[in-house]
Amino acid sequence: MSGPVKVKDIGARGDELLSRVDVDELMPLPPPYDRLEEQPGWKEIKPEAKERMVCNLDGVVGLSLPRPETEAEERRYVDQFAEGLKKLLTRENNWTFLQPLTLALEYCVGCQTCSDACHIFKASGDKEIYRPTYRSEVWRRLVKKYVTPGGRLLAPLTGADVDLNWTTISRLYELAYRCNLCRRCAQVCPIGIDNGLIAHELRKLFSQELGWAPRELHEKGTVLQLEVGSSTGMNQVVVKDNVEFIDEDLTEETGIEVHSPWDKEGVDVLLIHNAGEILAWPENPGAFAIILNAAGIDWTLASEGIDYDGVNYGLFYDDVQLARIALKHVSTAKKLKVKKIVMGECGHQHKALMTVADRILTGDMRVQRESCMTMLEDIVFSGKIEFDPSKNDFPVTLHDPCNIVRNLGIVEPQRRILRHLCPQFREMTPHGVDNYCCGGGSGFAVMSGNNFTDWRVSVAGRMKFKQILDAFADQPGPEVQKYVCAPCSNCKGQIRDMLQYYGALEKSGITYGGLVELIVNAMVDVKEPFIKWEMH
Amino acid sequence: MSGSIVLALSYGLLAVFVVAAVLRSVRLWRLPIHLRWELAPIPKEKTRGRYGGSYLEEFEWWTKPREESMTAELAYMLKEIVFLKALWEHNRRLWWFSFPFHVGLYVLVAVGGLLVLAGAAGAMGLQGPGWGLMRQGLPILIGVACVLGTVGALGLVVSRLFDARLRNGTTPVAMFNLILVLALFVTGGVALFSVDGYAGQASAFAAALFRAQPPPALSTPLGVHVAVALVFLAYLPFSQMMHFVAKYFTYHQVRWDDRPLEPGGAIEREVTELLQQPVTWAAPHVGADGKKNWVDIATEEVPK
Repeated sequence: MSGPVKVKDIGARGDELLSRVDVDELMPLPPPYDRLEEQPGWKEIKPEAKERMVCNLDGVVGLSLPRPETEAEERRYVDQFAEGLKKLLTRENNWTFLQPLTLALEYCVGCQTCSDACHIFKASGDKEIYRPTYRSEVWRRLVKKYVTPGGRLLAPLTGADVDLNWTTISRLYELAYRCNLCRRCAQVCPIGIDNGLIAHELRKLFSQELGWAPRELHEKGTVLQLEVGSSTGMNQVVVKDNVEFIDEDLTEETGIEVHSPWDKEGVDVLLIHNAGEILAWPENPGAFAIILNAAGIDWTLASEGIDYDGVNYGLFYDDVQLARIALKHVSTAKKLKVKKIVMGECGHQHKALMTVADRILTGDMRVQRESCMTMLEDIVFSGKIEFDPSKNDFPVTLHDPCNIVRNLGIVEPQRRILRHLCPQFREMTPHGVDNYCCGGGSGFAVMSGNNFTDWRVSVAGRMKFKQILDAFADQPGPEVQKYVCAPCSNCKGQIRDMLQYYGALEKSGITYGGLVELIVNAMVDVKEPFIKWEMH
Repeated sequence: MSGSIVLALSYGLLAVFVVAAVLRSVRLWRLPIHLRWELAPIPKEKTRGRYGGSYLEEFEWWTKPREESMTAELAYMLKEIVFLKALWEHNRRLWWFSFPFHVGLYVLVAVGGLLVLAGAAGAMGLQGPGWGLMRQGLPILIGVACVLGTVGALGLVVSRLFDARLRNGTTPVAMFNLILVLALFVTGGVALFSVDGYAGQASAFAAALFRAQPPPALSTPLGVHVAVALVFLAYLPFSQMMHFVAKYFTYHQVRWDDRPLEPGGAIEREVTELLQQPVTWAAPHVGADGKKNWVDIATEEVPK
């Protein structure tokens, strides 16, 4: 489509791309990452795939939505969407977010203050369709035209010029997954409008009414977790085997007896990890075990139900799945009669179980929930473990997971630990509650279909990659080993993919990991370096 | 136009404003409690608020008293309401127009308030020593409001027409709103500079409304201004310009509402009621049939 993209264009010329992502237009990166010819090219979507799947937004296919075979099928989806549009604004179906959504519907003044706060919009070179208000304005105009009484009649006055058709909904579905839901835009909005929430609600409409959701989040995510126990596919036998293996491995490696207890009743702490850690970063749950045992904490892991996997992808796209998973997390904790649940290093797990689900944990579903950040701070400064910060004498920077920092306000505990244990700790700019998302937020880190990873790394993660490089700008070469501390599984997955994509370990000596790995690395009792300077 | 018709029209437009503004605000107030959706920074967090920290930074936070600072919250609100802090920090280009635009409106509202007071005093036959001072000060205030407001509104109109960032999201209604406010300031300015005894006429009009008597005839420029002001007021509750009310909800009931659920508390009671509502979402995995409520849906075994 030529010329500047207008809001109403979303429903026009459905066989064309609404706006193509052009690598030349992306926000520049510092050397040596500024040479386009040295960067891996984007995976091409083959013509036969385009015949099967919808590809009409930006040339990126994250959702693999099949093309309808008949016009009647298209019509049915459009009608379902129209129904969902109404349900989103009803008390019965959407009391969960009706108030903030109504406010976002009626009071945006279009000042575009949010645009410069959005890492995706800025990294894309200010691409109009990634402007936080673009998606929101499409939704507003659809509501004005098709939900508000007399909307079609008044459309010329209200500017409700978006047509509800197959092109609109297929593009809007994909566009709902071009936002990390990091809410940085909401933070700067003078009125308090939340464009991230609108993307979230659109995802809910597609999932809860049409049954459309990314496979990685739904079938392979929440559905699998509710069926088997974990979105990784591990059942309770496998997870126990894997953790036992981690314990043995780390016992051998560190010379310390590592043991992770299971299903102990009445303990102080039920620790719930993102189960992805157990498979992708086994040193993380291992480090937790080392720290908790060294500090003499009475703790357990749980193998019952779904409590060995703290993920709750429902947070990103579906309130029903969110509630089902949160209730199951709590029910096992109740059964074990633990004093509190502690969230492992997983941002969205924090947000889902500590705050978003808080108000549905009524009556006897109440269990206290706490972040591992505060527990770790308490341990580190308790004097129960002896540390030697000189063991961490390399450049360290901290990535702030949006779900822990901007959304929960847990900012300082992890910093106090890093300042205490890492002599060369330095902040990114900006940081804390003003941080930029890693680009993997809202489920993107586990989404990799077609060319979505290329977009996720090159566009969504671009601002974070630049921030990481800038934080280490005083020692840019590979001869100095540097560590990005990312205390969140999904953020780690995204940062891993970015560092690998750009070859940042080889070119700049940058690797990444969690917070507990740095804590264990600084323990006097751990003789060998715990951090491995390799890409994993 | 006869005085009686002017009186009736004025009452009608003011009544539309009051009723519509109250209804729209009550509607927002009565929306159900939502899931927690707070967003840092929350300024009422004592000491932590300055960097965006929350009570969740405390080890076993539920065992500690909540430390909140009303002063910090009020200071934040004052900076936002008076100086448009968020716009200053994040959208400076627009602030240069938005700030005078809003200050112009604030001053105009203050003038309206003074006229109401003067009208009430006049209706009660009170003419205190402050009246002379007000009569002198009113034109100055109106002048300040109209100059600032005109500059701001004109700047915003031009920005929306020519700034590519803003143009795409600007609807005809949004443009109409700005032009209406511009008209309010321009007519006010014209009335001020072309009408002798501006303050006297305006306060006599307000006093007549209080007495429910046909108001005295206004000079044409002032009459136009008063008409625009009344139309603006009547239209205001139906527009996005009610965001000054919405902001209370977006800040206090969304961003800054980090109240945890307490057993037996008001939140639990309201949520328990909301959970009883039937669900009609149609996707198969939801398993709704229009009869099952949220509790049924969330606790039953998942359809495979």
